[in-house]
Amino acid sequence: MLVSLAGMPAFGATAAAANNYWFSGTRLAFEHPQVRDGAFAVGTDDNGLARFLAKVGATVSYQPGQRFVIVEASDRRLITFTLGDTHFVVGTVTQAAAFAPYAEGSIAYLPFLDLARALYVDPVSDGETVVMQPQIAALDVRTENAVTVVTLRGASPLQFKRLSKADEDTISLAFLGTGSTLEPDRAVSDSPLRGVSITVGGTPKNPTTVVNFSVTPGGMHVLAPTDSPNSLTLAFAPAGVQLGGTAVPASGGAAVATVPLTVNDSHAASPLPTPPPGAYRGSFRTPAMPPATLPPYGDSTDSNAYPQTPLGPAPAATQTPTANALPSATITNFDTQSIDDGFNIRLSISGPVTYEWHRLSDDRWYVDFKPANLAIPAQEVPLSDPSIVSLRIKPFIGPNDHLATVRVAFTMPSPRGVSLVPTSDGMTIAIDSQDDSTMQIAGTGELVNGSIVAAVVPLPPVVAAPAPDAAEPAPWKFSGPSGVKNPKLIVIDPGHGGSDTGAEHNGLVEKDVNLDVARRLRGVLIARGWQVKMTRDSDIDVYQADDSAHDELQARDDIANSAGARLLVSVHTNAFTTSELSGTTTYYYTAASRPLAEAIHARLSQLPTADDGIRKENFYVIHHQNMPGVLVEMAFMSNPGDAKLLKSSAFLQSVAVGIADGIGDYTSGNQPVSTNSSNDSTDGN
Amino acid sequence: MRLLRAVVIVALLGVAVYVGYRFFARPPQHAAGGVAVYYCKTDGATLARWVVSVNPNATDRTSVAFYATAQTVAGPPADVAAIRFPVGTVVRSVLVDGSTATVDLGGAIATPQAGSFAESGEFKALVWTLTALPGVSAVRVKIDGARVSALPGGHFELDDPLTRQSW
Repeated sequence: MLVSLAGMPAFGATAAAANNYWFSGTRLAFEHPQVRDGAFAVGTDDNGLARFLAKVGATVSYQPGQRFVIVEASDRRLITFTLGDTHFVVGTVTQAAAFAPYAEGSIAYLPFLDLARALYVDPVSDGETVVMQPQIAALDVRTENAVTVVTLRGASPLQFKRLSKADEDTISLAFLGTGSTLEPDRAVSDSPLRGVSITVGGTPKNPTTVVNFSVTPGGMHVLAPTDSPNSLTLAFAPAGVQLGGTAVPASGGAAVATVPLTVNDSHAASPLPTPPPGAYRGSFRTPAMPPATLPPYGDSTDSNAYPQTPLGPAPAATQTPTANALPSATITNFDTQSIDDGFNIRLSISGPVTYEWHRLSDDRWYVDFKPANLAIPAQEVPLSDPSIVSLRIKPFIGPNDHLATVRVAFTMPSPRGVSLVPTSDGMTIAIDSQDDSTMQIAGTGELVNGSIVAAVVPLPPVVAAPAPDAAEPAPWKFSGPSGVKNPKLIVIDPGHGGSDTGAEHNGLVEKDVNLDVARRLRGVLIARGWQVKMTRDSDIDVYQADDSAHDELQARDDIANSAGARLLVSVHTNAFTTSELSGTTTYYYTAASRPLAEAIHARLSQLPTADDGIRKENFYVIHHQNMPGVLVEMAFMSNPGDAKLLKSSAFLQSVAVGIADGIGDYTSGNQPVSTNSSNDSTDGN
Repeated sequence: MRLLRAVVIVALLGVAVYVGYRFFARPPQHAAGGVAVYYCKTDGATLARWVVSVNPNATDRTSVAFYATAQTVAGPPADVAAIRFPVGTVVRSVLVDGSTATVDLGGAIATPQAGSFAESGEFKALVWTLTALPGVSAVRVKIDGARVSALPGGHFELDDPLTRQSW
């Protein structure tokens, strides 16, 4: 029975109230909502929630028995709820929820409106109903070396109509169906962009937001690629600076921006502006991307760890981009010291600063100082000390609080103890030679005049990374093939994408289904403590549009190989010329991959699809990887029954969980005794 | 002397008649039993074959290979459940060089493919058919005259010549 979400005194809930909630022109209908502490609670299995999340490009992952519910937004932000805790974490920012999420049976219940707001969807009343209105919720402006990059982020795909002519000094873009509560006026100094003004009109159900960019005469502006259709990035340059990118069309969205942003400044050889979070692959790529020891920017490997900008080239002293006018500290010096009992990282800091540190499950550790500028070059520090593997320091703008931030991040050979020690001129990060015994994984504090003056309050975990239990030995202790450099990294390859749609049947498009499940799988794996890298995280060709099958498929293997991943899982949906074939198949090719295929398929065979077994096939993408790899064909979209399942969020989630379970079985050595495999044979020969 | 000449003439005529008979009376290659053409059943694994008569003009090795390829691409009768090449697939050419048959396909198969399931079955049938011909042990697949690693939007690897051991 479908039940409309009820009541909303100040958008709270009462059982008596029965107002309708609307989103994207349709009424939100939840199957079994509950009321907790005056607020609506929605179950993770609720198809109403699934439809809502699908429209905003988000996925939810919850494994019964675990503490965490992870929602991954379209812009890769992780929204982490902890059962029994009223705090939840959006990216790296802790927020208070209306109630503590709770579990009933295999279902976790979440505070719906808090979740919606975190996904940039605000409740707006039009008198009788409540409209869940998608917002343009962020407008990032950053200027470096004369080029200003503006990124708009929305709850749903941002589609605009250009109201201005191409040669006008004000570029006006209208976003239909989208509201905004951003500041209506924003001046930008020392920039080819003079300012941005925002006006919102229309009705709650049909809002329109117009964003006006006032530019200097003679300048140039282009669209730059983003990694999400929910984002739109424009770059502005003054006269004399040529931008490579996509000219702003009369209408469109992120998808029309296909040309990478480049800058040709005849006056100075300048580095490109810091890429916005979530930048499109390659759009800002330079030869000086971070080394593999720390995850490169832009993939989900670092979605839980280093979620902001990459360590870019730093030919000279790097000034933190200033996106705000708040007073900030300056990190004026930085050096290291090997000692008998460990390793010290010494920071000279002028001015008061807050800090927030996180220990990650793979022996990485980082501390963010904010607001803070970096007066020395961002750098990767060469090291030869048994207490530390890698170390880097870099500035960035916090994607959520927009504060200038300096991050010190390092990797240790084991979960060593780390202490933050105030000094007369700043702080020393002391790495012990012994492993940590406190299990604390996060903390915050404030450093003023050489003293820590604020209490250090443990944060809820920034990401659900429970310690592996006894039944599942720590997977990263695995000693894998020589090509495996990061034994806790799994590469997920959503098959097809961009110009290659894959199969299309029964209203389904394979590339979209594959990406949907891949994202779900990523969420589940991250929640279980794995690192995940996606070969693509949007509707793109991995190599380039209209490329050859070789280039496209090899590019996917290259990603896995260069990352030194432990496993590769390629997610596909099958199809046939007629509708009678159905079922789930797991393919492998190399001998080393068969146990993985067996483990995954043992789980997938429990799906409500026909069990087509495992097969050995020379599919390119599972032949040229350096680690065990499988290709999963979830179901036949050409079969009506399978197609119906493929349209079900519950089924797609089951596939993701099944694959993750199989990976868990494989890595823990809990292999199935037997499995249904194909039996190549001929007759009549 | 006259008798000896007559004997020689008769002998030469006999040889000529014998040679002529052997030449003109030799049946075309495979004409008697036709050629075996394979298809892959819809379980994706099992192969079956049927025998087709060879085009009377297909008297040389390459022509027979072309004819067998065309029959494989055309597939078994419509009422047989089989994995089939995409409708509109064209056999552009077949060249047998040594033990390798190079098959150049075009048309519908050169457009983005849908689903990995059929690809393997298609090429498996093609390889079994051609390697059933005397002296052929491998099949290289080209698309529109070019070597490819896989079909457009496809999955199955075509980098190297395919053999029966490819499965």
